[in-house]
Amino acid sequence: MRSPGMSWLIALLVLLAAPAAGAQQWPDTQPTVHGPRFLLASSSSPVPVDVRRVAVLRRRIALDLPDASLDEALAAITAQSGLRFMYSNDVMRPSGRVHIRAQEITVAAALTEVLMDAGVDVVLSPNGQAMLTRHEDPRAPRRQNGVIVGTVVDAATHEPIATATVVIEGTRLGTMTNDSGQYRIPNVPPGTVTLSARRIGYAKQTQSVTVTADREVRADFALARSASALEQVVITATGETRNRELGNAVSEIDSASISRAPVNDVQDILVGRTSGVTVLGNSGQPGAGGTIRLRGVNSISQGNSPIIYVDGVRIYNGSTGTSFTGRQTTLPLNDIDASDIDHVEVVKGPAATTLYGTEASGGVIQIFTKHGTAGRPQWTVGVTQGFNNVGHVGPKGDPTGMFLNDCSGVHTSATGVTFQDITCPASGSWLRNGYVQQYNASVRGGTSDVTYYVAGNYEQEAGVLPEGGNKNGGVRGNVTFRPATGFELGLNTSFTQRHVDWFADGNQGQSALLNISRGASSSFKLGTGCASGVTVCLNNAELFDATSFTRQHHYITGFSAKYDAEGPFSARLNLGYDYDDYDLQTEFPFGFEPSFPQGELLGAVRNRTLLTADFAANWKQGIGRDVLSTTSIGAQMFDNRYRSTDLQTQNFAGPGIPVFNSGALTGITGAENSRVINAGFFAQEVVAWRDRVFVTGGLRVDGNSAFGSSFGLQAYPKVSVAYVMSDESWWHVPFVRSLKLRGALGESGKAPGAFDAVRTWSAVAAEDGQPAFTPNQIGNPNLGPERTREIEGGFDLTTADDRVTINATYYAQHTFDALIPVTYPASLGFTSTQLENVGELRNKGIELTASGDIFRRENFTWNARLNYTWVKSTAGDLGGRTITIESLSRTFVKEGYPVPSYFGYKVTNPDAFADPIIDSSAYLGATFPNQIISPAMTFTLWKNLTIDAIGEWQLGGHLLNATAYQNAFVSQTWQPCFSVQEKIRAFQAGDANALDDVTALQRARCTLDGSQRDYAFWVEPTDFFKLRSVTVTYAIPPRLVRGIQNASLSLSGRNLWTSTKYSGTDPEVADIATNSFSRRDYYVFPTYRTFTATLRFGF
Amino acid sequence: MRLTSILPLALAGLACAACDLSVTNPGPVQDDQLNSPAAIPALVNGMSGDLSFALGNFLGGDGGPVMTDELTHSGNFAAPNDYESGIITSTDVDPDYQNMQRARWVAEDGLRRMQAVLGTDFESNPNTPRAYLYAGFANRLLGENMCQAVIDGGPAQSDSVYFQRAESSFTRAYETANAQGNTTIVNAALAGRASVRAALGDWAGAVDDASRVPATFVFYAIFSLNSSRENNDLANQTHVRREMSVWGTPWAATNADPRTPWDTVFTSSGKVQTGNDGTTKFFRQDKYVLLSDDIPLAKGTEMLLIRAEAALRSGDTTTMTNFINQERDVYGMAPVPVPASMDDAWALLQFERGAVLWLEGRRLWDLRRWHAEGTNHFLDGRDTCMPIGASELASNPNLQ
Repeated sequence: MRSPGMSWLIALLVLLAAPAAGAQQWPDTQPTVHGPRFLLASSSSPVPVDVRRVAVLRRRIALDLPDASLDEALAAITAQSGLRFMYSNDVMRPSGRVHIRAQEITVAAALTEVLMDAGVDVVLSPNGQAMLTRHEDPRAPRRQNGVIVGTVVDAATHEPIATATVVIEGTRLGTMTNDSGQYRIPNVPPGTVTLSARRIGYAKQTQSVTVTADREVRADFALARSASALEQVVITATGETRNRELGNAVSEIDSASISRAPVNDVQDILVGRTSGVTVLGNSGQPGAGGTIRLRGVNSISQGNSPIIYVDGVRIYNGSTGTSFTGRQTTLPLNDIDASDIDHVEVVKGPAATTLYGTEASGGVIQIFTKHGTAGRPQWTVGVTQGFNNVGHVGPKGDPTGMFLNDCSGVHTSATGVTFQDITCPASGSWLRNGYVQQYNASVRGGTSDVTYYVAGNYEQEAGVLPEGGNKNGGVRGNVTFRPATGFELGLNTSFTQRHVDWFADGNQGQSALLNISRGASSSFKLGTGCASGVTVCLNNAELFDATSFTRQHHYITGFSAKYDAEGPFSARLNLGYDYDDYDLQTEFPFGFEPSFPQGELLGAVRNRTLLTADFAANWKQGIGRDVLSTTSIGAQMFDNRYRSTDLQTQNFAGPGIPVFNSGALTGITGAENSRVINAGFFAQEVVAWRDRVFVTGGLRVDGNSAFGSSFGLQAYPKVSVAYVMSDESWWHVPFVRSLKLRGALGESGKAPGAFDAVRTWSAVAAEDGQPAFTPNQIGNPNLGPERTREIEGGFDLTTADDRVTINATYYAQHTFDALIPVTYPASLGFTSTQLENVGELRNKGIELTASGDIFRRENFTWNARLNYTWVKSTAGDLGGRTITIESLSRTFVKEGYPVPSYFGYKVTNPDAFADPIIDSSAYLGATFPNQIISPAMTFTLWKNLTIDAIGEWQLGGHLLNATAYQNAFVSQTWQPCFSVQEKIRAFQAGDANALDDVTALQRARCTLDGSQRDYAFWVEPTDFFKLRSVTVTYAIPPRLVRGIQNASLSLSGRNLWTSTKYSGTDPEVADIATNSFSRRDYYVFPTYRTFTATLRFGF
Repeated sequence: MRLTSILPLALAGLACAACDLSVTNPGPVQDDQLNSPAAIPALVNGMSGDLSFALGNFLGGDGGPVMTDELTHSGNFAAPNDYESGIITSTDVDPDYQNMQRARWVAEDGLRRMQAVLGTDFESNPNTPRAYLYAGFANRLLGENMCQAVIDGGPAQSDSVYFQRAESSFTRAYETANAQGNTTIVNAALAGRASVRAALGDWAGAVDDASRVPATFVFYAIFSLNSSRENNDLANQTHVRREMSVWGTPWAATNADPRTPWDTVFTSSGKVQTGNDGTTKFFRQDKYVLLSDDIPLAKGTEMLLIRAEAALRSGDTTTMTNFINQERDVYGMAPVPVPASMDDAWALLQFERGAVLWLEGRRLWDLRRWHAEGTNHFLDGRDTCMPIGASELASNPNLQ
């Protein structure tokens, strides 16, 4: 068997060795001083370059110029080699005559001949251009270079623009502005250069600047706002592509939109910043990951998480193992520190992700971290201090907040039981303010050949209960090296360590919310010292003696090689390594009552490695005057390895800190060691007409080790069209500055899991520890990937003098051959389900984004953004089956209904003052929301005071409120049922009219008859609005802070306010341990608010 | 060499790497790997394990005893909540249906595999009588609890089909064990066959088998602390959790009976502990205290009661009482007098069977057949057996 690693190595060596190959064909020396010198632009002064090592100079051309101007000769060389020349008439007289006839002459030799005695040198820039500069005698006294300095500001407000890119066109000389909008480009060779400044959200601007030796020249820019994103470059599977060429929607979230926001992680960044993205918070446990969906649901069994790339390296897109008692997971995605992120691209549907291959039908999230820029080191430091806080917990009418807000004193339950929690904190509440601290620092800089970005961060936050918190820290180093013209090598590495302490939560006997909210029915009732007469003396504090943590190390490193010189050919190779290991551990200490009096220790040790090899190459060729063809081919391989070992030990001899051989009983309760490889290749052709019509066709072919033996390779086609209509000469539509129409049709798929195709048995123990087999899975040799076909269409337009952009997209997805877990008759022996390609899902939606400046004046600007998402995921033909996702959650998939939905008992006369009439198998509602509306506003006052706010409505979702179901009956501590249950008792005592004003739904939900209650009665709509964040930022004037280039102070609040009719603690939570695809609020602690103050400064 | 020429080479390198798509996943065992004599012991251990798992879960978290008068529901699980009301649905019983069917299929399919793999050595292999025995007990577990039989994806049949298959399997277990001199399996096979012959109405045959089993003989379904799958879930649900209580059952009045041991759990304040439902008094069964406590599948004392019932059915209450007192003697209990009437005799026999077979998964069959004969009324107005599981109904085309 060939080692995949060896093959990568071969490919890498071939790529890297190529520039040096064929050295014997070339002269060893530079041209004589009569001809031009070939130099490479650098940050100091141009350095001589070995012409043998520059591909474009080795290229062979033919010239037949018996009498041509210098200008014409250079144009002829450009036409054949792709090397473009920049020069000023001050340096060289273009009308000078040249005479040359040659076949198979190299570009270097041709230039030497053409420029002989012209008195110029050829200075090559990394982007493939050649600048002709005045030749200087190296023996003459050396002249010094000049410096360009300046400021980039907003044309309307004169506000400084930070992180704008200022470059000398055609060279590698450039930098980025600091927070004060200032920039400085040293070591600029004397002469006239074209200087440009650009920034996302602004129109690019250029100006000519004449640089004089040993002098500083000033060039300021005032950029006009432009909402058009047509010229923005996004990264696709084939490489860098301008937005105008894409036939599908790609959303970009740039660092400017998150730099002031109180974002902890990538999950926070995705909330409310683009359409088509659903993020649900899941839990109020610090460190817990959320649920992320792009364009809803298009798979029942294979997950709907988008695949994730970080700087071209694919990382694991799932979650870590579920904490035993925290019943939540962490997301490896969140290990990318928000302060390191330059921008995020969200590619949402199969029509756009076809070339990413199998597994990409859930969409792609690409994260690009910050990189260095040439220039002196620029330091950025951020310090955040704050606290987490939760307000009233549970139903508004419950004065005790489910005994969390108020646990003090003696209480009497609805059934007359008196109880007291002797361990209630002195504050009288189980809730506290959890301390939050975050620190990050980074430095970036470099030369024109080598740039670097190095950063570190540390974050610690405590939860709002006596236990629970998250600590994480990490470092990042991104180095970019440009060894030759057009070549760029990159090494991007990050390491993150995370430690999450979980409190017991969700559906289990030790859960904090379960026990505390049940009052006298808590399992912790062996307290002593309560007030005289108290019948139940609680000691709920003991539940916090059970400890649980997730300890995680995440290492991502990627090597990239990119070739993109001026010319028709470009290529890139990415090799990636994503390693994530985590320990999960839960300890019930010796003496832990009531569940584990002799103690128990549970653990899991897991690691996952994902190797990426990704190659793509492009060839551009003009066809006539108006058509440009771009042909792309590429290949990828992903090697996914996973190891896990689950451990358990019970019954300790006594107190102490146990390890996994401390108990009388020890055992390995689970182990897995799997490896799955997905490999494929693609080809794509883009035909562009006059740079305004773009027709793209592509094909992806994949193999996957999890496909059944009968299945083989899978092919996924795509086609798309983009038309920048506003570029037409006849375009004079009032109020619409630019308009692009786009449409795309494409397929992608999701692979089944390892061994899903094979009939297998599980090795277990029986007969008191003897080896045994039991049926595992019945197998299906015809198993293949499910395929999702998507058609999308939409437009991108700018209006209001280019200040406002509107993007609209409609899409329709059809998942066929859907992988459905099919139940076989148990009488055939296999009780677990088997995946079959038998289902059909349909998913359609509308995404709308409008953003821009509503008002813009010197001392006041008002920028607004509105994202609207509508999605409808429906089960199609399932062969008449009902797919059970989680029966206790009453969650199923049925033909014609949203995927997934709640089904079960429904009171058909909810508002009638009568006994409930029950439909036993009714549709109760969709699990996930189908509409998301996210308004965002930014106000800037007096140039240095900024207010950012983001809100979000999520509509159409439902949640099973199992907390209410249990507390209404088991402990009778569900406040909304108090009055109803009082009337039910009166009715039972003989008051025939007691229930006259009690509705049927209230009677069903609050029943005191155990045989009449059901979870389904508690499926409730989760429609909510949340004020996600508000930030006030003051840019401190530099004059007030000596030695600092820029500084700002931000005051932020996150999750500040919620409006909902959902009666539980939080409409966003879910007990993740139950099932990742169903959602049940089973004593899950609500999400909390965070208030922070952040000081950032750069120097 | 031009840079562009690297492209085919680079692609070739990646493509070769991509050629290797083999999965390594050493956990699951592929089916054909079991076709080896070396795999037979573990295959038969698996038959035992699946049977214990089915029985343990039926008695434990799935709440089987609540279908009968053995225990009262005192917890939060949904299925026992229905059982307590006398409602037994296909949805509620589905996990138990699946576990029981798996235990049957694993044993019967395993025997087919063993015959193919062992060939002429099949009869003499020591695992063969074990496999037949587990096939017999798995069929009996289904027959005693299910309303109808379904075999290997076929149509619904009379529940007696399970008993017929059990009788056949016990007979083959007896024959092969007897030839190999395995006394334990001989006795277990005879005891198992006696119980299913009685169920089929062959009381003569049942008495013949029962009389050949020693009074003190017990054959167990094995449970262990070794792994959670091997745990006795009834012990878990009553000694770790408080899901079922003896409170409110006939056995709550017999706290001195060694066959039905239980105790009362108190809170720190001295009040009687309630179950996990927060309301039902928690009287804790003590027949299975540890998660490793085994559950009897066949007992000599049951054989005495089969002989007693056969005598009663022939109207011989004296002989019946004689057998009952022999059974009581095994447990060190005082003899009882001959009942004065047939009704008293039936009441005595039914109590004794209830006590001897308490929490062994046998009670629903006894109550069901006595209910049908009109000698017991606990199941009046209640569902009397477990319907075919919902998953089988939904997936078996022969049941559509």
